Amino acid sequence: MKRPLLFVLAAVSLFLASQILSPPVFAQEIQGLRVHDTPGDGGESVTLEWEGGPSAFVTIMRSESRGGPFEEVGSTFGADGLYQDYVEAGIAYYYQISYQLGDEGYLTAQVGPAVARSNWFRSYRVNALILACLMFGLVIFYINAAKRGKDLYIRRIAGISAIDEAVGRATEMGKKIMYIPGIMSISDIQTIASLSILSHVAKQTAIYGADIEVPNKDPLTYTAARETVKQAYMEAGRPDQFREDMVTYITYDQFAYAAAVSGKMVRERPATNFLIGYFFAESLILAETGQSTGAIQIAGTAAPTQLPFFVTTCDYTLMGEELYAASAYLSREPILLGSIKAQDIAKAIIIITVAVGLVEYFFGSSVIKDFLVSR
Amino acid sequence: MRRTIPLALTFIIGLYPIFAFFVPHARITYANDWLDEALVIVAAFALPLGTVNVIMTNTSKLKKKAKGWPYSIVLLCGLAIMAFYGLIGGTGVHPSFQWMFVNMVSPLQATMFALLSFYVASAAYRAFRARNIEATILLIAAIIVMLGRIPFGDMVTGGRMTPLSEWIMSIPNAAAQRGIIIGAALGAASMSIRIILGIERTYLGTGKD
Amino acid sequence: MDAKKLLYVDRRVIYLLVAIGALIPIIRPIGLPTVPTEPVWNLFNRIEELGPDDAVIISFDYGPSSEPELNPMAQAILRHCFQRRVKVLVMALFPLGGVNMAIGQLDRIASEFDGLEYGVDYVNLGYKDGAQAAMKRMDISIEALFPSDVNGDPVADMPVMAGARNYDDVSIVISLATGIIGEYWVNLVNAQFGVPVAVGCTAVSAPKYYAYLRAGQMMSLLGGLKGGSEYEKLLVDKYDFARELYETPEVKVSSAMAGMDVQSIVHLIIIVFIIFGNAMYFLMKKQEKEG
Repeated sequence: MKRPLLFVLAAVSLFLASQILSPPVFAQEIQGLRVHDTPGDGGESVTLEWEGGPSAFVTIMRSESRGGPFEEVGSTFGADGLYQDYVEAGIAYYYQISYQLGDEGYLTAQVGPAVARSNWFRSYRVNALILACLMFGLVIFYINAAKRGKDLYIRRIAGISAIDEAVGRATEMGKKIMYIPGIMSISDIQTIASLSILSHVAKQTAIYGADIEVPNKDPLTYTAARETVKQAYMEAGRPDQFREDMVTYITYDQFAYAAAVSGKMVRERPATNFLIGYFFAESLILAETGQSTGAIQIAGTAAPTQLPFFVTTCDYTLMGEELYAASAYLSREPILLGSIKAQDIAKAIIIITVAVGLVEYFFGSSVIKDFLVSR
Repeated sequence: MRRTIPLALTFIIGLYPIFAFFVPHARITYANDWLDEALVIVAAFALPLGTVNVIMTNTSKLKKKAKGWPYSIVLLCGLAIMAFYGLIGGTGVHPSFQWMFVNMVSPLQATMFALLSFYVASAAYRAFRARNIEATILLIAAIIVMLGRIPFGDMVTGGRMTPLSEWIMSIPNAAAQRGIIIGAALGAASMSIRIILGIERTYLGTGKD
Repeated sequence: MDAKKLLYVDRRVIYLLVAIGALIPIIRPIGLPTVPTEPVWNLFNRIEELGPDDAVIISFDYGPSSEPELNPMAQAILRHCFQRRVKVLVMALFPLGGVNMAIGQLDRIASEFDGLEYGVDYVNLGYKDGAQAAMKRMDISIEALFPSDVNGDPVADMPVMAGARNYDDVSIVISLATGIIGEYWVNLVNAQFGVPVAVGCTAVSAPKYYAYLRAGQMMSLLGGLKGGSEYEKLLVDKYDFARELYETPEVKVSSAMAGMDVQSIVHLIIIVFIIFGNAMYFLMKKQEKEG
């Protein structure tokens, strides 16, 4: 009994002595200043970290040699405990922090050297890496499954199914088809999706002998659209029916383009309008003008702000991912269908993750939420 | 070769920015920044292509005295005058260019944008019909949001319309927007993978091998 | 009464009534009250906390077509920043962005305040292409991206740039945006570099930004003319100079608060037409059943 009691008394005494003998740590004093290369960057910066710090601005001072001279390079709020200094890579830097506590000035001890170096991985993006690998993996898995002959179901997309009907209508009426591939450049994924649909539409017009016009706002899209239509006519076995004036460049200005195309719609009264691609404010001008001329209209965009306008003015609207699925839907190629399946599985995984994260958050944990946040 | 080189370029240049997204090393980001700049330069060089097409199309219209040929004169004159003053202004802004922009281009663009108000009215009149339950909910939500965006709503309802409108925009609308954005982003990712792997080739002007 | 005929009224009747509804408040202003909402308060309160040692970026990411809708909020925010003596870095990442506003009117608005000097208190850095690439570079150095201002003068010598080297020195980025550039600021600059971002956008773009506002990726959202009118109202309520300024005819006529009269009347006309259309729709159904 005596021995444990003695042990406890000794421990308590030692603790009390440490509190008396060690210097008093005021919460506002900067403690534990350290500097290191900022992780996950391209060698642009070093990071200072410390504990404590005043509730006021502190001055960061830097030197390229131990002992100085130090120059002021920035300031930050003392209680933040963190400062990122943008420096030249490969050079050793030393740091001190000067600050005020009441009337007294303080200067921390020097820390360093720290050298900014290029890193090979942004560790804070590991969540995006996992999702990217998952997406790639799913696409490759389902493409291979499709190649092995697995039957992949894709639901009916009304807008795409109506393409043939729309082209047939234009042929019967003896009027042209107008295809507007959006206003963004070929670098935008929606424009590429639009061109894949244009290829099918142009092939149908070649087969039926209808006329098509493709006015463009972007010069790069214009050159790609011209090649697409030309190739479509060649594949349909009607290269002689292709004319250079089928695909035209109008202007780079958004509303001048809308005015020109609206004017064409009113004067030439096409039987069918396709508005497929990335649109901005001109979407309603084009769609409403087309609606007023009595044309059948098939629209498609992944721009959420323009979808309502297309839904109210067009007969069929491809919404969001339906636009991207169009090429797979039209060709029915197993490889393309495989990628659509992969996309659906990825969406299911995201839905489940969000649902689980929501439940977890309600129970006071935020592991999934914190993991999903990215920079 | 005609297809192989573009596909190979697409594969390398398509994968590189994805790689650079995860690797911050200076040697990698330097090339990535160069690619970003190259895209801007390529796009700028494509502009003359389109301009040449505009000039050729309208000159041809003039020669043939095709329908609407006087407008081609207006277009070509406008193109020449704006280009002239834009070029002599150099990297700054020539006063005449500024004048034409402020007094001609700007009001014309604003006028076209203003047309939207009329088109929205006619589209809303045609679209908002209580045909079924979903359409009725949409109709009621639209009226609440429209009233919430103007002072009348609060005046008539004692200040309740704006918070209700903000709630509709912040909760159901934001949820729907997120769903569409996520779906569209996944669709874009899937399409991008197809393009990078060379499965999707229609943008090259070819559909099949 | 033939409900079907009334239902399919010529759209030009709608256009005519909308035009009349838009003209009347312009000829005879109504002066409807504006109640600021929380997203607008957020930006106003944040700028109220700033002073001469702080810097903000105001990016004019809209073209001439959106000027009638976004110019009023741009002017109100500039006036607020100048009143607080906050350092203002004006730029454009949208082609033709702010060509009229930034170039033509920036100096005029600054002249409304005593003692403001170009290059010391504010600077117009001009337009830079490659929106996302430009945003990324500003994390390292704003001066490296914009070595000269819109007039071609080097910015290295300008005192305003001394306190605005990169995003670390910027208190807020305010993007006045049409199209997608506002989203770039939020997804890239706020998400990757942690800079608070406020967006002023056209009314048609506002719905998509609510998702970012709710997620905390944006600190403020000014949607369309209403957002502009709310900011003007806050300014007018807080500062006497603003109250006097917005009473002057030339400022009043182009203000968002005056525009809200027009928006209110047109919205009401649309609502009346919607109700009328539904009434005729149900009447037509009834007549078809009876007939």
